[in-house]
Amino acid sequence: MSDQVNQHATKRRTLPSAVGEPMVWLTGSALVLCLGMIAVLLVLVVSNGLRTFWPGDIDRMTLEGGEQVMGIRVAEDSEGRYLYRVGNRDIGQESFRWIDGEAIVEIEQPDDAVMLERESWGVWFGMPESISVLNDEGELHKVTDGSGETLDAFGEMHAAARIRRAQGEAMRKRELGKINRGIEAARLAISEAELGVDQRASASDRLGWVSWALVLASVVFAGLVWWVKRDAGVGIGAAGVRVGKMTRFGCAVVVIFGGIGLWVGGPWKTVGVTGETRDGVIAASAMEQERLQVEYERVLGEIRAGEDVDSRERFVVVEPTTGRFAPIAQTRGDEPMMLSQVVRLVQANRLGFFGKVKVFGGRWWEFVSTGPREANTEGGVYPVIVGTVLLTLLLTVFVTPLGVIAALYLREYAVQGFGTSVIRVAVNNLAGVPSIVYGVFGLGFFCYTVGRYVDTGPVAGSALSSGVWWGLFGLAVVTAIGSFGCSLWGKPDPGHPPSVVHRVLSKLSWLGWGVTVVLLVMVVARTPYFMGFFGARAAEGSPTFGARGLLWASLTLALLTLPVVIVATEEAIAAVPNSMREGSFGCGASKWQTIRRIVLPGAMPGILTGAILAMARGAGEVAPLMLVGAVKLNMDLPVSTTAPFLHADRSFMHLGFHIYDLGFQSPDSQAARPMVWTTTLLFLLIVFALNLAAIMIRAKLRGRTTGAAI
Amino acid sequence: MSDVENKERSAVQAVVAGGMGGDAVHYDVIDAIRRGEGVEPTVHGEMAEVDSVIQTDDFKLWYGVAQAIHGISMDVPRGAVTALIGPSGCGKSTLLRSINRMNDLVDGVRVEGGITLNGAAVYEPTVDVIELRKRLGMVFQKPNPFPMSIFENVVYPLRIDGERRKSVLQDACERSLKSAAIWDEVKDRLKESALGLSGGQQQRLCIARAVVADPEVLLLDEPCSALDPVATIRIEELITEISERYTVLIVTHNMQQAARVSDYTAFMYLGRLVEYGPTGAMFQNPKLIETAHYVSGRFG
Repeated sequence: MSDQVNQHATKRRTLPSAVGEPMVWLTGSALVLCLGMIAVLLVLVVSNGLRTFWPGDIDRMTLEGGEQVMGIRVAEDSEGRYLYRVGNRDIGQESFRWIDGEAIVEIEQPDDAVMLERESWGVWFGMPESISVLNDEGELHKVTDGSGETLDAFGEMHAAARIRRAQGEAMRKRELGKINRGIEAARLAISEAELGVDQRASASDRLGWVSWALVLASVVFAGLVWWVKRDAGVGIGAAGVRVGKMTRFGCAVVVIFGGIGLWVGGPWKTVGVTGETRDGVIAASAMEQERLQVEYERVLGEIRAGEDVDSRERFVVVEPTTGRFAPIAQTRGDEPMMLSQVVRLVQANRLGFFGKVKVFGGRWWEFVSTGPREANTEGGVYPVIVGTVLLTLLLTVFVTPLGVIAALYLREYAVQGFGTSVIRVAVNNLAGVPSIVYGVFGLGFFCYTVGRYVDTGPVAGSALSSGVWWGLFGLAVVTAIGSFGCSLWGKPDPGHPPSVVHRVLSKLSWLGWGVTVVLLVMVVARTPYFMGFFGARAAEGSPTFGARGLLWASLTLALLTLPVVIVATEEAIAAVPNSMREGSFGCGASKWQTIRRIVLPGAMPGILTGAILAMARGAGEVAPLMLVGAVKLNMDLPVSTTAPFLHADRSFMHLGFHIYDLGFQSPDSQAARPMVWTTTLLFLLIVFALNLAAIMIRAKLRGRTTGAAI
Repeated sequence: MSDVENKERSAVQAVVAGGMGGDAVHYDVIDAIRRGEGVEPTVHGEMAEVDSVIQTDDFKLWYGVAQAIHGISMDVPRGAVTALIGPSGCGKSTLLRSINRMNDLVDGVRVEGGITLNGAAVYEPTVDVIELRKRLGMVFQKPNPFPMSIFENVVYPLRIDGERRKSVLQDACERSLKSAAIWDEVKDRLKESALGLSGGQQQRLCIARAVVADPEVLLLDEPCSALDPVATIRIEELITEISERYTVLIVTHNMQQAARVSDYTAFMYLGRLVEYGPTGAMFQNPKLIETAHYVSGRFG
């Protein structure tokens, strides 16, 4: 036997691809390339974003020909030219200026040179000369003289002036705002009262008392039947399982729909607004309006008094080129600016490192905590942050339940087959539709169709007559009950394949549900009983929900990110082991109990992953927002302390759109460029923070729902 | 051909062929089944006298077009342990899962004939399958505790019935953990995840879960096949204990296990019942040579 044993293995060839691990290098370098590009992007954003707020030194240059220029150097090119930020836009110069290095005769960095960040017209470079007070005769009296004395006194006086100004602004916003809202409400009440008579006249055909009583009787009867038959066909071997279910379902539908009908068609509602009550409302509202107008004048007087004090303190800062001082306004070049117009004074050449850090921190704080100024190129982005975060949270709140429910049906309830495959492919394709298409859809459907319906009810002339409407309403009830019956009897007996009758019935049931949905949509869309919630304002051409706003934007983005959630949830659900489902069924749990107690908790980390992905996708989306609600400037936040607190109808600012606006729509694009970087950096940080929060929540949940073994 | 003749011929052939080498033995019944012919099962006389809780009546089952069970009629005695044995693919598990209609979850299953639980037909459109499963406790081949705490696992059947009273749940939990002989091991860690238990403990936890709602019958589908010998012994002891209170129907691959724990044994082959009788008789004095050889490990 031993001669049959192979004693020498034949020499086998080794291919070059099997020597070492060449693929390690290939795959590794591909990864490095990808990561490298992302790293470059991040480094660029972070370095540029951080640099914006760092205070540079102020140069005072004497050029050939004796011209003096003051500014901060921000860049240089290969031909030895320097880009200086020279500000002082309101006296007619460009705020950035290229200066030829060879043309500079002398550069010095005077200690007293300051850069002023102002409420308007950007920055001002110059030497402080004096702080003066305007007396009643319109003459300026110097309180301080000379740059040293002025700078010493500046801090305290400036702080006081800023507080005064902030108080005035707060009063304008709060008290005047409150009065304004009151006046607006009274005005609306008047136009609503005038409109209300006409509207209710056209919708006066409610149910008569007799028909109403009939509907009531049928609802009560259905309720009773439900109660009596609540145990019919329950239990093993009980007769009439289907009939029992059918009876209970039918009764429930009649009770629910009948109840809606009773409420909608209540005959007492035909009363409407009579001429007398209308006149009363109008008279009362007009009086209220007058009272508020007086109040308005009084508060305005108070504010003006404060502003008068404010306007007397002037700050004289002279720039070297022409010797002119920073003016109070571009058109009033002969008056020095008010002290309170200065947002921040940076005496850059005197600042040590920590002083600069302080300015840097202060600017960041201003950036994230205040609203924008100067066509968004100055000031902060607080409303933008609020808008972005709210939008992202709202879209997540909308998309997650929607996607989870869809995925649950698709994976747990639907019979797997051709239909579900088609739907899966379609859902995946939805993820590839250009986002602007969603924007167009959102504008057309959400804003102009659904929103307008909410505002004013059915399109004028499309409301059905009450007879037809009640007919459709009844038909919807009948088709709903019929479809339920079809699906009950369309289910084959246990352990038997469906017969032709079963197949036909279950198809019929699908058809019936489709018809029911169409009928319900018609019943809602063309009801003669709904006049909208904000008809009066819409009639004046200022729609509430019938325009672009936060609600519609978040719904549009929810639609856009729906495929992400559906796919992720489906995978998570499929990953729950079948043995878990079997165990639950074996304990006598129903399908829904199994889903609710076993499948969903098990799939929760995966579902949250989907929500996180959707959030990240939605947060970064800009194109559809331009159509459905993001605006260049809206200082009215979508959240406030006045009811209803979350103003989902308002348009909002969004960081993505803000970047676009700064970079490409800005009147002073050089000044805006650093802000683009900073805003980008902030945007990345916020998206990162949102994701991090979601991931932490997921980690917490994961720890709770699964043990060490998984 | 009568049963008696059948048996005699088998025995003669077996004797002729001699001990080793299964190929040489001719098994008439098995061969007939392999050829797809119907064979009358050999049911011991004792089976006619028992009080049965589950009865199958010419029960047939198809997965799509493939028939898995070919007309099985057997009575499962009340208050005893009945073991279903047979080689892989003989339909034991399918039969077990047909009783609580777990096969409804599989697409394309078709059945004929009937199963009754205490006289009530299981395969009727009037039967609420959820109600049915609540009356039958089931333990699966692989331990499948839910990813939740030990306590929540045990009281799961009560939870889905809407039981919220803490005291009731705690009592039920303690009682069923004790009857599953795992109380002492887990009483201090009821709030911990059940997935942290060992395989044997997990399976006993599943038994506790299956008995917590006091089912009429306990269906065990190869409960020890994923466990080590020590855990297996503990589960077997547990089955013996539990059988004082519940009717148990157990599917097993392990002949010794069937011999140790069961009162009655049914031998199945390719979807047919071959021989059914009291365990003692089935193992020591079977009527068919096939059974004798199968239980002694000479084929299958």
